[in-house]
Amino acid sequence: MPEEKIITAEKLAEEFKEHSVAEFFKKNRQMLGLYGKVRTLTTIVHEYVTNSLDACEEARILPEIEVKIEELGEEYYVVTAKDNGPGLTHDTVGKALGQLLAGTKFHRLMQMRGQQGIGASGCTMLSQMTTGKPVKVITGTGRGKPFACEVTIDPKKNQAKVENLQELDKPFRGLMVQARFKDVIYRESSTGPLEYLRRTAIANPHAQVTFISPKGEKTTFNRTANYIPKLPVAQKPHPSGATVDDIITMGKASVARKVSSFLKSDFERVGDTAIEKIQKQVKFDLNKDPKQLSWDEAEQVVTAIKQVDFIAPSTEGLRPIGEERIKKSLESIVEPEFVFTLTRPPKVYAGGYPFEVEIGIAYGGKAGAGDNGTEEPEPKKGEEENATQKVMNGENQAKVEIMRFANRAPLLFDAGNCAITEAVHTVDWKRYGIRDLENIPLTIFINFVSVHVPYTGAGKQAITDEEEIMEELRLALMQCARQTAHYINTKRHEIENKMKRDMFYKYIPEIAGALNNITKADKKMMIDKLEYLVLTKLKLEKPDIEKEKDFEKKRQQLERIKKFKAELMGGDA
Amino acid sequence: MSKKSRKTDKGLETPKEIASRIHVMAEGIVGQIKKGQNPHFVTKQRGKGNVEFEEDKGIIELGDKETTRSFLNIAHTKKFLQTMLVTSQLYNYLSHDKTASIREIYYELKHTVGNTSENTFEDQSESDSCIVDLEHAVETIREKLNVHANPKGTLYGDITLVDKVHNNDKFNCLKLGRGGWSVMSRMEPNEIEIKDCDAKYALVIETSAMYERLIEEDFAKKHKAILVGTGGQAARGTRRLIFRLSHEQKLPIYTFTDGDPYGWYIYSVIKQGSMALAAHSNYMAVPDAKYIGMTIEDVKDYGLENVTEKMKPGDIKRAKEMMDYDWFKNKPWQDELKTAIDKKIRIEQQALANKSLEFVATEYLPKKIKNKEFLP
Repeated sequence: MPEEKIITAEKLAEEFKEHSVAEFFKKNRQMLGLYGKVRTLTTIVHEYVTNSLDACEEARILPEIEVKIEELGEEYYVVTAKDNGPGLTHDTVGKALGQLLAGTKFHRLMQMRGQQGIGASGCTMLSQMTTGKPVKVITGTGRGKPFACEVTIDPKKNQAKVENLQELDKPFRGLMVQARFKDVIYRESSTGPLEYLRRTAIANPHAQVTFISPKGEKTTFNRTANYIPKLPVAQKPHPSGATVDDIITMGKASVARKVSSFLKSDFERVGDTAIEKIQKQVKFDLNKDPKQLSWDEAEQVVTAIKQVDFIAPSTEGLRPIGEERIKKSLESIVEPEFVFTLTRPPKVYAGGYPFEVEIGIAYGGKAGAGDNGTEEPEPKKGEEENATQKVMNGENQAKVEIMRFANRAPLLFDAGNCAITEAVHTVDWKRYGIRDLENIPLTIFINFVSVHVPYTGAGKQAITDEEEIMEELRLALMQCARQTAHYINTKRHEIENKMKRDMFYKYIPEIAGALNNITKADKKMMIDKLEYLVLTKLKLEKPDIEKEKDFEKKRQQLERIKKFKAELMGGDA
Repeated sequence: MSKKSRKTDKGLETPKEIASRIHVMAEGIVGQIKKGQNPHFVTKQRGKGNVEFEEDKGIIELGDKETTRSFLNIAHTKKFLQTMLVTSQLYNYLSHDKTASIREIYYELKHTVGNTSENTFEDQSESDSCIVDLEHAVETIREKLNVHANPKGTLYGDITLVDKVHNNDKFNCLKLGRGGWSVMSRMEPNEIEIKDCDAKYALVIETSAMYERLIEEDFAKKHKAILVGTGGQAARGTRRLIFRLSHEQKLPIYTFTDGDPYGWYIYSVIKQGSMALAAHSNYMAVPDAKYIGMTIEDVKDYGLENVTEKMKPGDIKRAKEMMDYDWFKNKPWQDELKTAIDKKIRIEQQALANKSLEFVATEYLPKKIKNKEFLP
C-alpha cells in the first residue's frame, strides 16, 4: 500500500506538472496580456518583434523585421515573423522557442523592452494549445548551413521538442518563425498589430519594419537612423528605493561578509560616510553577516537609509532614443507638417529610480488619429495645403493621437489609467493656442525611459502616476507645447499674409488692363510695380513658384524654430 | 425756364469732356503706380453718415465728406478693381458714342478673375455702386456717363414733347393711346424737350392700375391733369420729368400713393430726394410736391374700414423709422404715421373701388384737389 501510494503521488505530481503549464496560461491570461482576441494577436506580434530587436542589437546588426499575418479561417490566423538577426543554432533553437521562463530578463535592473508578456516560447505554447500544431522555424547564423525545423513544447518536462530538422542549401542569416493561432482576431484599429508595428518603428528608428496584412497589403516603415543603440547595462539599485524585502533577499544572495560591505558593493552611491551615518541609526553592528539579517534589522537599515542624503542614482543605464532621431522618425512615418522633439535630462522617482522623458509633438499634415482611431485614408496630393486652412477653421476631422512608450515598447492598452495620458490632459493647452486638443491634427509621442518602469498592473500597459513622473511629464509637454504654439502662430501669420498677397495679385492684371485701356500706359510696368507694392506692404519675399513647392521654405522655418528653441533652452539645444 | 443751380450745370458737358475727365483721373492713378504709391481715387462718402436734410431748401443733400478708395486696403481692393473695370468700360462708351443700361454694364464686365473661380461682380448692385462712385469722382451725373437704368414710368396728358436724339419726333402724350408715353431713363432737356403743356397740375400715381383707371375715366382731359405713373418707386428719369414739370412748367405736383410705408417713401423721395442719390437732389427733388392720399383719415371719411389691410411687423418698424426723419417731423405727418402705427392698418389706392370704380375720378380726387386736402 505505501508503495502504491508513492507511485500515485509521483503520478499525480507529473500530471500536476503537465496540467500546470497549460493551466498557467489559462489562469494568467490577463497577466500575460492574452485576454481579448484582438489584444492577444498584438501581444504575439510584440513577443516576436521585441525578441528580434533585442537579438539584433546584441549582435550589433541593424534590424530588418517583417511580420506577415494570414487568415486561415474564422478567428484562425498564421503569424510569420522574420528578422535578419544572429539566428539560432541547433542547440539554442529549442531553448529560445520551446522552454518557458527560460529568459534572462528577470530581476535585473536594466532598461529592457521585454520584461513583460509571455516570450516567444509562450507563443509556441499558445499555438500548440489552440491549434495542436508545431511552430515552424527557419534559421541560420551566417556560418554553416541554415536549417528548418518544427518546435513544440513537452508540457510535462517544460522542454522543447525539435523535430523534422532539415538543413538548407540556400544561405540565410536570421530567424523566421511561423505559428498558427485560434481564437484571435485581426483588426486594423489603434490596438491592432499594424499600429503596434508603426509605433515600434517610430520608437526604433534604426529598424526597418515591414508588415503584410491578411488583406495582402504591405506596409514598410523605413529606417531613418543608421545606428545601433548602445546595449543597456545592468545597474545596481539605489539605496533610497530599497525595501525591507530587498535588503533581506539581496543580503542572502550577496557574496559580501559584512552588512556594511554588502551595502557598499550591492547598492550604488553608498560610501563610508553613508555607512557611518547608518551605523549611528541602527541598533546592531553592521559587521554582521548580511545572510543573517532579521526582518527587524533590515527594517532598521531601511529607516536609517531614509535619513541619509545620497547622491542621485546614476543615469548611465538609461538609453533614450534622442531628439534628432525621434524627429526624423516621426517625419518619416507620421508625415506631419512640423515636428518638435525634446529629451529631458534624467530625473529620479520614488527616491531611487532614474528615468527620462522624451517627447515629440507632430503637427499638421498626416499627424493625428483619424476618426475612431482607425487608419485615415491617404489624403490626395494638393489637399495638404488645404488641410492647414481647414485646421484653422476647425474643420479638420483629425483627432489628437497620443503614442505612449515605455523603453521604446509601444503601450497600446489601458490608456485611461496611464500617467502619460493624465499628464497630456492636465496640461492647459489653451495657453499654447490649442483650443481643442481633442480635435487637432496632433500626434504626441512620449517615451518613458527607465531601468524600472512602474507599471500600474500586471498587463504592463500603463505607467503609475508617481508625483515626480507626473511633474516631469507635464514639464516636458509644456515645453514642447510652447514650440508648437510658436510654430502654429508663425504658420498662421504666414498663411494669412500669403492669402492676402494672392488676393491682391489676382486683381493686378485686371486693374492694369483697365488703366491701360484708358491711358495706354505700359501694362507690364504697372503689374511689376503693383506686385512689388504688395510684397513691400506685406513684408513678404518675392515668391518663387518653384521654391515654394520644395522644402527650402520648410527648412528655413525649421531653422527659425531651432534658433528659438536654442534661446529658450539657454543656447545649448 | 428753370432756375439753374450749381449742380444742374453738370448736365451741360459733352461726352468728350467727360471722357477727358476720366482720362485725367486714370492718368493720376497710373502716376501713383509709377511712383510706387498705393493707387487710390477720391469719391464722395455716401450713406447716412454724409447725408443732411437741408431744411431751408426742403431737400436731402449729400455732405462734403470724401472717402478714399485704395488698392492696398484689403477691404477696398475688390471695390477698387471693380471701379477700374467700370471706369474703363464707360470710357469706351463715351469714346464711341454708345450708351448702355446699368444691367448691360454688369453683364459686360462680369467674368472670372484670372484662373480663379471668383467673379468680378457677383451682383448688379456692385457695378451700380461703382458707377455712382465714378459719378462723384469725375463730378458728373450718370446720364452724362452714357449709362441709364431700365426705363420705368409712364406719362399721359396734354403735353407735347420733342425727342431730339430720335428724328426730332414731336408728339402729344394725349394721343399715344391708352398707355401714354414711356418715360426715358435719360430725361435731360438736350434729349427730350417739353414743347408745350396745357395742364393745371401733375398727378403722380404709384400703381399702374390706378394710372390706367384714371385714363379710362378720362380724368386727364376732364380735369386738365398730367398723369405720371411711377409703377412703384419712381425711377431716375421719372423723377427728372416730375422735377421739370414742376420747374419748367410750374405745375403743382400731387402725389397719389398707397397709404403705407412704401407709398409714403415714394412721396418722400419725390419731394425731398433719396439718400442713395442725395447728391442729385438739387435737380431731382420737388420740395413743393404735395401728398394727396391715401391717408388713414380717408378710411374714416369714406367708410373704408372694411377694406384696410393689416400692417406687418416690418411695416410698423419702417413707419416708426419714418417718424424720425426730419422731413416727416411736422404735425400732420406725425399724426398720420402715429394713427397708422396705432391702428396697425394700411390702405391701398384700389380700396377706393369699394365705393365704385369711378369714385376715385369723380369724387375722391376732384374733391381733395378742390378743397386742398393735402398732407405737406
